[in-house]
Amino acid sequence: MNKQKLFRASKYGFLIFISFCSLFPLFWMFVAATNTSVDVLGGTLIPGFNLIENFKVLTANTNFYQAMWNSFKYAAVTTLASLLVSSLAGYGFEIYHDRGKDMLMKVLLLSLMVPFAVIMVPLYMLFGNLGLLNTTAGFALPTVSTAFLIFLFRQSSRNFPHEVIEASRLDGLTEIGIFFRMFIPIMRSTYAAAAVITFMNAWNNYLWPLIIMQKESAKTMPLLISNLTAGYTIDYGVLMLAVGISILPTLILFLALQKNFAEGVTGSAK
Amino acid sequence: MKKKLTVLFLMIVMMAGFTTMTFAQEETTITVWCWDPNFNIYAMEEAAAIYKDINPDVNIEIKEVAWEDLQTQLSTSLSANQTDSLPDIILMQDNALAKNVNSFPNAFYDLSDSGIEFDKFANFKVELTKVDGKNYAVPFDNGAAINAMRVDVLEEAGYTIEDFTNITWEEFIEKGSDVKEKTGKPLLSAIAGQSDLLMIMMQSTGNWFFDQNGEPNIADNEPLKEIIRVYQELLEKEILVQINDWNQYISSFQSGTVAGTMNGAWIIGSIVPVKEQAGNWRITNLPRLANVEGATNYSNQGGSSWMVMANSEHPEIAADFLNQTFAGSKELYETILPSSGAIATYLPAGDSEVYNMPHPFFGGQKIYTEIIDYAAKVPEVDYGIYNYEARDTISTAITQIMSGQDIQSALDEAQSTLEFQMW
Repeated sequence: MNKQKLFRASKYGFLIFISFCSLFPLFWMFVAATNTSVDVLGGTLIPGFNLIENFKVLTANTNFYQAMWNSFKYAAVTTLASLLVSSLAGYGFEIYHDRGKDMLMKVLLLSLMVPFAVIMVPLYMLFGNLGLLNTTAGFALPTVSTAFLIFLFRQSSRNFPHEVIEASRLDGLTEIGIFFRMFIPIMRSTYAAAAVITFMNAWNNYLWPLIIMQKESAKTMPLLISNLTAGYTIDYGVLMLAVGISILPTLILFLALQKNFAEGVTGSAK
Repeated sequence: MKKKLTVLFLMIVMMAGFTTMTFAQEETTITVWCWDPNFNIYAMEEAAAIYKDINPDVNIEIKEVAWEDLQTQLSTSLSANQTDSLPDIILMQDNALAKNVNSFPNAFYDLSDSGIEFDKFANFKVELTKVDGKNYAVPFDNGAAINAMRVDVLEEAGYTIEDFTNITWEEFIEKGSDVKEKTGKPLLSAIAGQSDLLMIMMQSTGNWFFDQNGEPNIADNEPLKEIIRVYQELLEKEILVQINDWNQYISSFQSGTVAGTMNGAWIIGSIVPVKEQAGNWRITNLPRLANVEGATNYSNQGGSSWMVMANSEHPEIAADFLNQTFAGSKELYETILPSSGAIATYLPAGDSEVYNMPHPFFGGQKIYTEIIDYAAKVPEVDYGIYNYEARDTISTAITQIMSGQDIQSALDEAQSTLEFQMW
């Protein structure tokens, strides 16, 4: 009995320790956002009274609202487009699979091994020639179809009951109809997981928007934050406030889809 | 009738179209990429305001881009040959200028014959913006190195700022260990594994890491060996403490853990926010390396300059803009100094009233006149194309030496690493 209690205590102790390690940086960031730069560097851990001042500086010195809106717009469009395209592809690879498609899938997976920096220059030339610099389409297109998402959807399509497809066919649904009216609703937890991952990646994307978003009005949050670190004198309070605000959308999305997310990544279907 | 009306309407539309086109041509927009709203961007905005009076048809549009981001965008656009979206003017870190001009020889506009009087700028700075004898940039901010010290701490140990002026590193070490003993405070902090302080010391001797042919000169670089010896002694006697990153570096003197710092003059921007220390700081020149021939008390760290891009549609206008403002307006430098602390390398600005004003944070010391004076005495060196690579290999060598490797073998290694990278 005592042994069990001891085990439990140490288990909770361990978990508390790990939670502390993961939450402390967040806590520190939010505390720093309320303090002056000097206090932040002084290592304070107590919330200060400089939050409003930091916010004023942030909105006065940068195109903060514009960057937030841009990031949100680009990330939302990218998420919707890539969920649709990648899930269609993943579904197709699994449901209609033959040798050729399996081979193609393997080639697709190989593309995971090519770092973005390698294709950056040619991609930039292509987008420049197509006139897609500084546009939402320019932001979204390179990540609309990713090997990772297609793979995720292909794997989870395996759990999609084939009986549903056969029954729907008998009831007269078209193949496209089956996908939209059966597959999507049933696989919503996979969609939730994919949405969180894609939104987060799009929101945090740095290198690609850096080179194609060359107009001030097209700038995203990561670029804005990068600018905040560029001066001879860095205002850490303002910087942490900007970082703190910029993680909120991803955090809210994650919390809203948390339950589905866990199911989605473990690959269950309902 | 209806047909005639349509023709007339179409003609009016066309006329209107042409007139707007001609109007649009008259108004020229010059775009600028630079970083730091409190410093460079602010200076650029003021310059734009001044130029508006001279040439009202020119519109200056500034975009904030962090330096690393600017370099990435520049390299990508130039490698991809997509120069349409590049700006007319960019701000360039001095230590990256030669490399960029060499990597993209046709990308930058040659300013040699643009009418800009380069002899009005600090000499060392103009040298940094020259490649193959051609001027590629208008010098901007002053990175002349300063030795900033807390006089209240010095006083505790019985010293004044004069005791640290025009001295050698030997004297600095001697007095520094005395201060450390009496007050417990080191005089310097440096980021472990970074070579900034060594670079400052190196330039103060007028030497660099390449010989006249641009070949690496590290393994047999006597000044460098002397510098490493001094650096080691500073560490051993705890006059210099090593810290881990830039934030800790700033915090080390802001919090008063160390009683001073040596860096480019722009570091003042990070010293003055600590209001409790107002009046306690002074600046002076650097210690010199007595054992190195030609060594001085002056050096440089950081700084940047304005370049005109060759792809610009109006390179002459862009050059004229820079000529009339950064290379010709004392008024500009007088405006930007008090609010941003951006110290010029434009020598005529040094005579101005504003530069002669005492600075209350530094106990009424006329720091700006001093810095302009330092800038005029900084030895000229050619950073070369592989400056960043050299800096990295030296940093590695320093880390190895501090963890016990002997100086010669670490430098030999650095030499061959650098040769390999340049090959």
